[in-house]
Amino acid sequence: MIAEKGVWNKLRSRLLFTGPTLFAFITVMIVPFLYGIYLTFTNWDGISTSHSLVGLSNYGEVFKDGVFWKSFGLTLKYVFLSVVLINAIAFALAYMLSRGMKGQSIFRAGFFVPNLVGGIVLGFIWQFIFSNVLVFFGTKAGIPFLSASWLADPDTAFWSLVIVTVWQYAGYMMVIFVAGLMSVPGDILEAASIDGANGWTKMRKMILPLMIPSFIVTIFLSLQRCFMVYDLNLTLTKGGPFKSTEMVSMHVYEKAFLSRDYGVGQAEAFVLFLLVAAITLLQVYFSKRMEVEA
Amino acid sequence: MKRIIKGFQLSMLALIFVMAVTACGGNASNSGSSASNTAEKANSSGNESAVGDEVKITLLNSKGEIQTQLEDAAKAFHEDNPAITLEIQTVPGGSSPFERASTMYASGNPPTMIMLDTGDVEKFKDRILDLSGEKWNADAVANATDLTSFDGKNFAFPLAIEGYGFIYNKAVVDKAVGGSFDPSTIKTTADLENLFKQIEASGKKALVISPMDWSLGAHYLPLAYAGQNKDMAEVNKFMDSLKAGTADLANNKVFNGLMDTFDLMMKYNMDQKSPLSGVYERGPEVLGKGEVGIWFMGNWAWPQISSFDTANGQYGFLPVPISSNPDDYGNQEISSAVSKRIVLDKEKSTPEQQEAAKKFLNWIVYEQKGQDFLVNKASIIPAFKNITLPAADPLGQSIQAYIANGKSEQSMSTLPADHWSKVGASMQKYLAKAGDRATLAAEIEDYWKNVK
Amino acid sequence: MVGSKSPIPWLKTVLLTAGLILFIVPFVVLILNSFKENKAITSNPLSLPERLDFTNYKNAFEQMNYLTAFSNTLVITLVSVLLISMFAAMTAHYFVRNNTKFNQYTFMIMVASMIIPFQAIMIPLVKIYGSLGMLDNKWSLIYMYLGFGSSLAVFIYHGFVKSIPAELEEAAMIDGCTRTQTFFRIVFPVLTPTTATIAILNVLWIWNDYLLPSLILVDPEQRTLPLSTYSFQGTYTSDYGPLMAALVLTILPIIVVYLFAQKYIIQGVMQGSIK
Repeated sequence: MIAEKGVWNKLRSRLLFTGPTLFAFITVMIVPFLYGIYLTFTNWDGISTSHSLVGLSNYGEVFKDGVFWKSFGLTLKYVFLSVVLINAIAFALAYMLSRGMKGQSIFRAGFFVPNLVGGIVLGFIWQFIFSNVLVFFGTKAGIPFLSASWLADPDTAFWSLVIVTVWQYAGYMMVIFVAGLMSVPGDILEAASIDGANGWTKMRKMILPLMIPSFIVTIFLSLQRCFMVYDLNLTLTKGGPFKSTEMVSMHVYEKAFLSRDYGVGQAEAFVLFLLVAAITLLQVYFSKRMEVEA
Repeated sequence: MKRIIKGFQLSMLALIFVMAVTACGGNASNSGSSASNTAEKANSSGNESAVGDEVKITLLNSKGEIQTQLEDAAKAFHEDNPAITLEIQTVPGGSSPFERASTMYASGNPPTMIMLDTGDVEKFKDRILDLSGEKWNADAVANATDLTSFDGKNFAFPLAIEGYGFIYNKAVVDKAVGGSFDPSTIKTTADLENLFKQIEASGKKALVISPMDWSLGAHYLPLAYAGQNKDMAEVNKFMDSLKAGTADLANNKVFNGLMDTFDLMMKYNMDQKSPLSGVYERGPEVLGKGEVGIWFMGNWAWPQISSFDTANGQYGFLPVPISSNPDDYGNQEISSAVSKRIVLDKEKSTPEQQEAAKKFLNWIVYEQKGQDFLVNKASIIPAFKNITLPAADPLGQSIQAYIANGKSEQSMSTLPADHWSKVGASMQKYLAKAGDRATLAAEIEDYWKNVK
Repeated sequence: MVGSKSPIPWLKTVLLTAGLILFIVPFVVLILNSFKENKAITSNPLSLPERLDFTNYKNAFEQMNYLTAFSNTLVITLVSVLLISMFAAMTAHYFVRNNTKFNQYTFMIMVASMIIPFQAIMIPLVKIYGSLGMLDNKWSLIYMYLGFGSSLAVFIYHGFVKSIPAELEEAAMIDGCTRTQTFFRIVFPVLTPTTATIAILNVLWIWNDYLLPSLILVDPEQRTLPLSTYSFQGTYTSDYGPLMAALVLTILPIIVVYLFAQKYIIQGVMQGSIK
């Protein structure tokens, strides 16, 4: 441990090294977050000049708001499918692209491209693709399942969201896996690739255990991003058709700003935070334990 | 090196210090009443007034399609009033005018003028100016300011009248009926079905339903509310019974009549294979190209229709019939209302800014350039009697003609803010046949019982 | 080459190529349509533009006030990234080398804060900073990026600082360097690859961010690129042609940088994940 002599010196270096970050962090995130929690105990509607304390009634409303829990359930389903697919596809890509194949860096670079643009732009492009391009293509080519917009049916609209999410994050997670695979000795990788059935066993017994640290990172990141999905939801399906794809963030947002129920919306955002925090912490806890055992 | 680091260290500390001080300084001015804020604002605009008595005002525009026209109008206004600079701000896509305006108020930085939807005006009434004393109140068309008047004071400037119904492509329907189509011949649901049949017989599709929630929830279904009675007081009574949960929609004549017409629309809908697929852009395209004869939409759709126009600019409106009796209210009336309002902030705007904003509103109503902007450039149907310029496009003209003939029904423009979204979703469900009429009626009743 | 020993190498290449095409196609569609008129876009979204028509670009360029928006975005992104990288590295270093209970808890809180939904702090944030008169100002926005971005940056740096042997620094301090000197002469240079990672992640985030600047920046002169794109969306409809051109113009700078630096960017992200 490095330490200065004297209280003043200690304080000075603490202020210098952690001051700017912590000051900004506390004033930008923590204070508004706490203030937001305070607002959940009031009946403020987002615009009026005054508000009064209403105790826990907003939280009572949260538990009575069936739509909130329904969209939370939908979000769980979406998160589960997306996280599984993102990680499976990203790992497969990384595995194929980390053995010195010709042009592999071009492939890696290509798969990473979706990460260069923001959620709103992505949502817009894909909305155009699903409702204009695919429909046009399907009608001309006579493919029945493409000739109606996927965004018009609750099930296909849901899958559209999953597809775009996977498309968006797979490249990023792939890069993390590539980094992880670099720490796997080359001869293990090679052995796994040449003999078919045996290769799968080696993959399971030798490679995957070595990859657990990478999985912890990718699953954490994909969990967190999928739970918070908002931009994409808004621009791709707008929650439709008939509210069937409204994820929980969007519901919270609409509650606060469209239904003008600001207190309840803010309370739902806080409940959501607690739920997501619990889930991600469980994930990190269990995977760390796996890491120790492996 | 050592010196550089020392210098860096010092500037770091200075930075932290500055941060702390600015935070405190801001705090101090905040803890005072809004008076000190106004003073602050006055000071900052005072800086600019070093050169003459210049005033800078802002307008938050929530009618995205006229952004360019408004910016041009701001320039023209500045030419006429060199001391006033008007800046147009936008409501970003995806957020509502209410949300934008309320965050701007929350941020202590509201624009001088805000363009709001009618129903939102009341929420802001503590923060906006009483405009009852303005000259244009006397020149506004009938009922234009009723919904924005509280305790006998009018708080908002009526900017635009918008109307909606069935838009027809005259070339297509002319061919279908074999001669010149007269819209006044469609007075009942049966007349409408007959027209649909004639169009199909002529080899075209009858109509296209655009399935957007705002179109179904904010425009189509509210016809069932507005059509309850010619007397607005009766309509309000009906709305109160919905809120109280005593209205019986499933057995309501107007609602059922409207939904019978909707069933008919679904039967002849060009997109019935996948009724929710359509995007807004598809409507003007198929109507303009003459692939269908009829589309349910409003006069704001003109710019898009005109880019596909094959009917020589010949389009017009048909009312949405709700029964088999031609004399029933709503069968011959077009739904229209003032849909956008401009309000003036009184909290943070200086008296000079308020005067300048009032001047701008008067400029629109009384100056030739202002009227030209409103009617010809922005294709708006004005809400003022003194503006005699005819509407610039066939759809606007058609609405104006209905209003002039007394054939207009007041649109519901003070529905709760989430009505279009929630009820629109229920309508989509019905359109996709994922729910029947009983479900729809129950969902709408349920919505009204729970609305705040 | 190990890959060539694989039993069915062609299948793998075909699969990967097909996948790659799926990943890139949306951008191709975007670029194709940005050269077409509204009418041509809606009637056939897959057709090639009739000619290289830059009208949409010209309109978009003017209506977006591109140069102003571009320079705003550039200043905001660069300054924020610079501040985040430097301050976060210092904080992470301090946390690792002074591993007290207090610092551990602070670090934990920062990590946990990464799962706070932005919607939960949006309105309070605007309300607080609005009443301080600190909105509509790009420096406030930069300050907020420092606040929002520091958690992840500190988290990533934290893992790397741990891997730097403390002996190195101790030796320097014995030689008479102060803590600050040690940090800037020894630690920060060693951290360069991590700094690159942090910089890249934050550039991608801040350049494309929409929600936060839309709340903070009001004056059109202050607008960033993603904000100015939205002037093409009307209440009921979008002006597709110019909108697509605007989107291309918004992501173009990032794509250009990516083309030249993709190797480093991929490496940067890779670095960021290994601890």
